[in-house]
Amino acid sequence: MSPILVGPLAVAGISTVLALIISILDKVLNNYGEMEISINKGEKVLKVKGGSPLLATLAAENIFVPSACGGRGTCGACKCKVVTDVGPHLPTELPFMSPADIAANVRLSCQVKVRQNLEIELPRELFSIRKYRTHVEKIRDVTYDIKEVLFRLDEGEIEFTAGQYVQLVVPPYGDIKESVQRAYSMSSVPSDRKHVELLIRLVPGGIATTYVHKVLKEGDPVELVGPFGEFHVHDTPATMICVAGGSGMAPFKSMFYHMFETGAFPLKEVWYFFGARTTRDMFYLDELRALEARWPRFHFVPALSEPKPEENWTGQTGLITDVLDRHLQNVIPKPEAGWEGYLCGSPGMINACTNVMKKHGIVENKIYYDKFA
Amino acid sequence: MKQSPADRKAFENMAPGVLTAAGFLGNDERTLDRIIAEDEEAFLEHGLDFDKVADRLEDLAREGEQGMGEPITIGRLLVQSGEARGMLPCPWGDGLYHKNAVSVRPADIPPEACTEGEDMLIYSELSIHMLRVHHFCQGKGSPFRLDAAVLKQLLDL
Repeated sequence: MSPILVGPLAVAGISTVLALIISILDKVLNNYGEMEISINKGEKVLKVKGGSPLLATLAAENIFVPSACGGRGTCGACKCKVVTDVGPHLPTELPFMSPADIAANVRLSCQVKVRQNLEIELPRELFSIRKYRTHVEKIRDVTYDIKEVLFRLDEGEIEFTAGQYVQLVVPPYGDIKESVQRAYSMSSVPSDRKHVELLIRLVPGGIATTYVHKVLKEGDPVELVGPFGEFHVHDTPATMICVAGGSGMAPFKSMFYHMFETGAFPLKEVWYFFGARTTRDMFYLDELRALEARWPRFHFVPALSEPKPEENWTGQTGLITDVLDRHLQNVIPKPEAGWEGYLCGSPGMINACTNVMKKHGIVENKIYYDKFA
Repeated sequence: MKQSPADRKAFENMAPGVLTAAGFLGNDERTLDRIIAEDEEAFLEHGLDFDKVADRLEDLAREGEQGMGEPITIGRLLVQSGEARGMLPCPWGDGLYHKNAVSVRPADIPPEACTEGEDMLIYSELSIHMLRVHHFCQGKGSPFRLDAAVLKQLLDL
């Protein structure tokens, strides 16, 4: 054998032996065998294979804890209470934990490995969350950067409350080598149990939105996980003050058409403030004006923050917070039952609108939103 | 040039699927020290200062927040500040940063006509930190790359 080959072959041989040893050690040391996870004091008991993160272990048993980062410990969404002592919180968990979380043994389920029998606590609503196989029935551009995507369930039906969201499972594509999940509010009405409609705005550099805008086609198979979320219409006679921008339209579309269609919450007046920059960013204008004409309890206030002279916009102008402020001050009657705030948008928009609402006497625990960010 | 252990670890963390699904390197096949060295040269050529660029990007992000998630015109630029859920660690392990994405493009071009990395920049809190502290502009092909020529042209620096 040529002496030139001896060195590389020796290195390759040693590497192979080392890889084999590591693989065997991994199988022996990380073989935790069968473990038991008791949920909510034995309400559900799972027999699972140990060694994997709790999040993935639960998902394999069809219990889907919300997560937006694929288990990398960067979204902080997959919190659950682990009653069993599994050691101190990891540095990766601490940024997402309040002192109360730490005291209550709340953990990120993606960071806790199932290495012993566990007792955990989960909200009961998570038991009804399922993974749905669907196909894309229709994709429509509602603006230059927002698509309305209609998914048809391959089998079964989905039951949800208007205002809830699903997680869209994005498969690997292009340079993205692993599946990711992102949360989107459903814009369809709960009565249509065979479909889910989402409004998805292109976020520059966003993995999921780029997939939807540049890759996804009608007829493609897509998985959805849900429904999640606590955002819903509260059954009180208080007037709803709703504010959204961009794809924040989605949960409100679902709520309004559900209320109109079913006559639910008959005592509620509904005011809907929708902010956009120019008419090119505005959508569903005709549909919502038509709804307003047919549904006397519904009042639609679209507003543009930067209308161009040539657009001949005759509606409200200014930042949506200013428009909201003017209307709460001068226009919207305050019934005896008061006002409730409903918000869907960026954290900045939610904070700014919350301040305006509080200024006009809406107490913080009557201001509702889902914190996606 | 020999990489320090810290740079070697950071380079591993920049691969797709480690800290983020897309990673930080795009389709760039250069080593980390070469990416940084060549971007430092490009900054010098364009008369850019890392701290001043980072300050300007921070200012734009803050002003963009007034749009509350919608695009807002700031001078001759259209800026949109968006946030996502959670935090991202720096690949060098020296801090945690809110996940956000700020896009900056010329206000006189329709948004959909702009191309990432050509006449549009996308960046985050973490991008600004990596630019300021590590002189790392991200690899070519990364949507979050802060290319010296684009920075110079877009931000009038």
